[in-house]
Amino acid sequence: MPSVDQTAPRPRTGKTYWRSLEDFADTPEFREFMFREFPAGASEMLDSTQRREFLKIMGASLALAGMGISGCRRWPEEKIAPYASRPAGRLPGIPNSYATSMELGGVASGLLVTSYDGRPIKIEGNPEHPMNRGATDAWAQASVLELYDPDRSRHVMHNNQASSWDNFSSWAKSHFAALREADGNGLCILSEATASPSVLDMKRRLLEAMPNAKWYEYEPLNNDNELAGSILAFGSPYRAQYHFDRAKIIVSLDSDFLHAHPAAVKYTRDFASGRRADDAPKTMNRLYVVESGYSLTGANADHRVAVRSGDIGAVAGHLAKMLSSAAANWVGSVDVAKPMLQQMVDDLASHRGECLIVVGPRQPGEVHAIAHLLNEELGNVGRTVSYTARPDAKPQAASIKALAADIDGGEVDTLVILGGNPAYNAPADLDFASKLGSVGATIHVSSYADETSKRCTWHIPRAHYLESWGDARAYDGTIGITQPLIEPLFGGRSPIELLAIINGDDVGAGYDIVRRSFGGVIGDADFERHWRRVLHDGFVADSAFAEQSPTVRSDEAEAWIIALARLASQERRGLELVFTGDRSVYDGRFANNGWLQELPDPLTKLTWDNAVQLSPSAAENIGVKMGDMVNVSLNGGSHVEAAVLVMPGQHAQSATLTLGYGRNGVGRIAEDAGFDFYQLRSSDSMGFVGGATITKSSGSYEFALTQHHHALDTIGGKGTQDRLPTIFREANLDEYKEHPDFADHRVHVAHRLSLWDESNLDNADYKWAMSIDLTTCTGCSACVVACQAENNIPIVGKDQVKRGREMHWIRVDRYFSGSNPETPDSVAMQPVPCMHCENAACEEVCPVAATTHDRDGLNVMVYNRCIGTRYCSNNCPYKVRRFNFFDYQVREPVRETGLMHVKPSYYTRPQSDTHPLQQLQHNPEVTIRSRGVMEKCTYCIQRISAGKIKAKNDWVKAKPEDRSSRVTVPDGSVVPACAQACPAQAIVFGDLADPNSRVAQLHAHERTYEMLEELNPKPRTRYMAKLRNPAPSLAPAAPSSQGSAHG
Amino acid sequence: MGRYHYVFPKWSNALLPTLCVLAAVGPLYAALLVTYGFSPLTTDIGYQPVQPVPFSHHMHAGQLGIDCRYCHNTVEYANKAAIPPTQTCMNCHTQIHKESPNLTALNESYATGMPMQWVRVHDLPDFAYFSHTAHVTRGVSCVECHGRIDKMEVVTQQETLSMGWCLSCHRHPEMRVRDPKLVTDLGWSFEKDDEAKRQFDSPEDYHEYWLNHNNLAPSQDCSTCHR
Repeated sequence: MPSVDQTAPRPRTGKTYWRSLEDFADTPEFREFMFREFPAGASEMLDSTQRREFLKIMGASLALAGMGISGCRRWPEEKIAPYASRPAGRLPGIPNSYATSMELGGVASGLLVTSYDGRPIKIEGNPEHPMNRGATDAWAQASVLELYDPDRSRHVMHNNQASSWDNFSSWAKSHFAALREADGNGLCILSEATASPSVLDMKRRLLEAMPNAKWYEYEPLNNDNELAGSILAFGSPYRAQYHFDRAKIIVSLDSDFLHAHPAAVKYTRDFASGRRADDAPKTMNRLYVVESGYSLTGANADHRVAVRSGDIGAVAGHLAKMLSSAAANWVGSVDVAKPMLQQMVDDLASHRGECLIVVGPRQPGEVHAIAHLLNEELGNVGRTVSYTARPDAKPQAASIKALAADIDGGEVDTLVILGGNPAYNAPADLDFASKLGSVGATIHVSSYADETSKRCTWHIPRAHYLESWGDARAYDGTIGITQPLIEPLFGGRSPIELLAIINGDDVGAGYDIVRRSFGGVIGDADFERHWRRVLHDGFVADSAFAEQSPTVRSDEAEAWIIALARLASQERRGLELVFTGDRSVYDGRFANNGWLQELPDPLTKLTWDNAVQLSPSAAENIGVKMGDMVNVSLNGGSHVEAAVLVMPGQHAQSATLTLGYGRNGVGRIAEDAGFDFYQLRSSDSMGFVGGATITKSSGSYEFALTQHHHALDTIGGKGTQDRLPTIFREANLDEYKEHPDFADHRVHVAHRLSLWDESNLDNADYKWAMSIDLTTCTGCSACVVACQAENNIPIVGKDQVKRGREMHWIRVDRYFSGSNPETPDSVAMQPVPCMHCENAACEEVCPVAATTHDRDGLNVMVYNRCIGTRYCSNNCPYKVRRFNFFDYQVREPVRETGLMHVKPSYYTRPQSDTHPLQQLQHNPEVTIRSRGVMEKCTYCIQRISAGKIKAKNDWVKAKPEDRSSRVTVPDGSVVPACAQACPAQAIVFGDLADPNSRVAQLHAHERTYEMLEELNPKPRTRYMAKLRNPAPSLAPAAPSSQGSAHG
Repeated sequence: MGRYHYVFPKWSNALLPTLCVLAAVGPLYAALLVTYGFSPLTTDIGYQPVQPVPFSHHMHAGQLGIDCRYCHNTVEYANKAAIPPTQTCMNCHTQIHKESPNLTALNESYATGMPMQWVRVHDLPDFAYFSHTAHVTRGVSCVECHGRIDKMEVVTQQETLSMGWCLSCHRHPEMRVRDPKLVTDLGWSFEKDDEAKRQFDSPEDYHEYWLNHNNLAPSQDCSTCHR
């Protein structure tokens, strides 16, 4: 039997890996948890009395089924409804793709949406869009689910009563006509941040018609500080465009540019390209991150330092002092170890023109200004950073503050709220929700009848972006078109259509409004031809903002330094609260999106909730542990009760609070999820605030954390330490240069013998395989949602997640490493789908041959044969198989069920009307799995089939003399959903039978290894070992004699 | 008194033998009932639902000789051989028989734009994925699965379309492949094809040529049809 060489020196990298603090401490409870295949209660359904009840129901239903069989046909009659008149170019059963854009926080991403027989079902990045280049983030992937959300608002509401469009139109017609007469006196518009040319065109028309009307903007997750910093540095607003692909040294000060940034998709791609160190001279960039709590960027850093957000300004001040003469007078202490700081400064100084300092949106304007100064002085401008103008940029917090003041002053009679949800997410000090009541008429257009709608006179259902015409601008300024793929399901309207009503515009339809404003974008000459081009491409070519070259007012640096020192001294005191958007629900707008709620946070692995994230030492000081309730309060007196999540790597004086939870009455998914921290966020401290107190409160809260689920080892502590260095293989760049084949030598495989005949796939026509590069994977989890959308994977609800029953076919394993849970050395992110082993352990134990191999090397799951023994999952060493404990597709996700029992109503409760609507999203190319069957990653077999059929058809139709000797599927023509979504292009899929395919070359690469190769499963999915690039002087105890000892 | 209350009545003498016979024959009967009654041979072959319009394939495809692909025009490109839109019918029927009472539903659909509600005859289970384009492009004729549609007044299911039936051809495709140009010629046979007879000595040679020419090696993997 192949085995791990037990005599080999154990953790040879000198790294200790752990998934959580329980794992680190190796508690008995943790061992028990790990030992069980499924968590306690996961395989027990009911207690004895309930079981009797259950059997009764089962018996009755069997009897009924028996009577039903008397029909002579096995399944119900099915109808075919062809088009009365089929649109040109539409072939039933062949999906069409349309290019469109989704605007989030005022910035567009370019998308390509697949429509199947008129239903948008899958979202991809637009491959031609300069920012997306075919990739997306998890939010865009999940937005299609919102389209079919049964909780979306369906009616016009008047004072919380169902009303109708006719009522609204007749009211609006006279109301706004009167306002136009009065030049718009008393009319205020509150919009979401937007750069849409059509909205701006409508705004111009509105202000022309009603010069006294006022236009405000508010976005809770905004970049006010960036704007302020740019005005400080340059005197006018500019937007920094980073080029991470050209940077060798990157210093991030509280910036999560790999995730919480409007251009994160592009930045991830660029950053990844700077980390592929495979070609000579084998160089890669080095990332320093200074932040208070773990961000995705911090998780990918070569060096990460936890510093209070309030003290990060001091780090900037120190860097400025060391690197620039303009700010030599900085005095102040810095919360970073001397050698690290010195190395950072040295690295920056020695990489002039190829380094980059990035500052996050929470940091005050002065920090941004200093970064601009340093980037200029280090010669980075024009190389790693360029600037574009930022027309129409508005400070969002100031804007809503001004609106609140206007309302207080009695100057607002009519308030139109275009999207957004200010009653929920406006700064708490404005008390915006109660102010709404003092405005004469309030009109809110939004997707859900939410907190704001309930306080408004009129609520107008908003059309989803997949239902309406519009436009938007990407981060680089590229103008994108938003085109509808379906008629509004609930008769919603878009903000521009509402503006047309307000303006009394004779052009009322979204399509006409966008066309009219596009006259100003693409010119009236030859309009139709350009317009069709835009509809096809999804964006206007070369419409990005022009590059500008502003100069930093370095003579004012002294003033920024003084301001910074003052801020730093103010901020120093006490515990700080850091407000950040949530990695699942953004600012709360995706709170009713089940895919995102159930998506484990890449770092905390938390689903369905948010929490107060505290460091282990802080939690100990307060006397709380994971899940305990605490009272978070600010000097001002506002306080929130919430549960604690103890998070390694968090600064002890800093608590991270993610926004967007604690919403009630919005929808079934959002109900009761998490805690609302907007109540603590005021308009002068939108990023972080010091002087908070956290005290233990009574009770505790149960989280649904996935971090111990589907663990590869069944014993805690020691097993992990033995195996993790072989499961997740990594090396520093220096070691890689010395031993390029280090990944091969992490495990000693004595011999590869099998107990049974190994499958012989040598002569297969196709050998599908996947390569996952751990060096470039950031752990963003876009792949998880993409897979869920493509493969009809249900959500299961918080209660079921707690039992370890989440259904994701690809999971992202996250391990911390290091000897101190307070400051982990690094984070390891490892996506794990089915490995499609050639010697698959699952196949050997299935009693009914429900999982078998096909001749292309796929490990296939035959749902109809599966009888649900779950032996396969038990035997799978990678733990990638998922079992349908219930008919999740027709169950509503259950949040709380009290004790560890499923209530009988879960089986018997009649399901509501959600089902048919959500069915519309299903991919018809993938079978819907029912209760009692196992499922797992198929390598997107439906896409493989489509690719093969096309290749074979092309071959048959080709002239005999043009035919290749073998029917090959062109490399890159079959892309699974995960690989397609990946912004870092870390996942590559293809055919090993084609020696020139990318995957064949990657599998032959020296960094490539097989996970658990000592078991001889011959996985088709292989990993490329992770490379890190810490500064040699700071690298933790250098691993010695790597690779030479074994071979 | 005098009567003995606890004696079995006379008829009960026959009970035991009857029960024995039932016990012997009953399971056999049940087994046969299930085997044949639930077999696709019984449940599927001959399925002939009533359609909203009594469309005659015999007349259109057989007598008038309209090619299958005039109506089912997606068959070469898509997995589905789509039922034609109402518009396709109306290409002719705005001129011919436009007043016929048989066409009421059709005229109504054309006028309102609402789809016709045809009843599906050849209904594979939803977990089986069949591709028309993959078969038709490589020379598997319509007739192999659908039978002589051109002779049917009302479309009837001719084959079981069961998994075993699919596999029988995937295992032995030899005699079921022809020149892809002839796939919609439902009445074709080697004997009637002078051109084929000139080039090939026997039907076996002919089929083997096309099998190799189109590189047919049908897969029997589960993943071919189930995903």
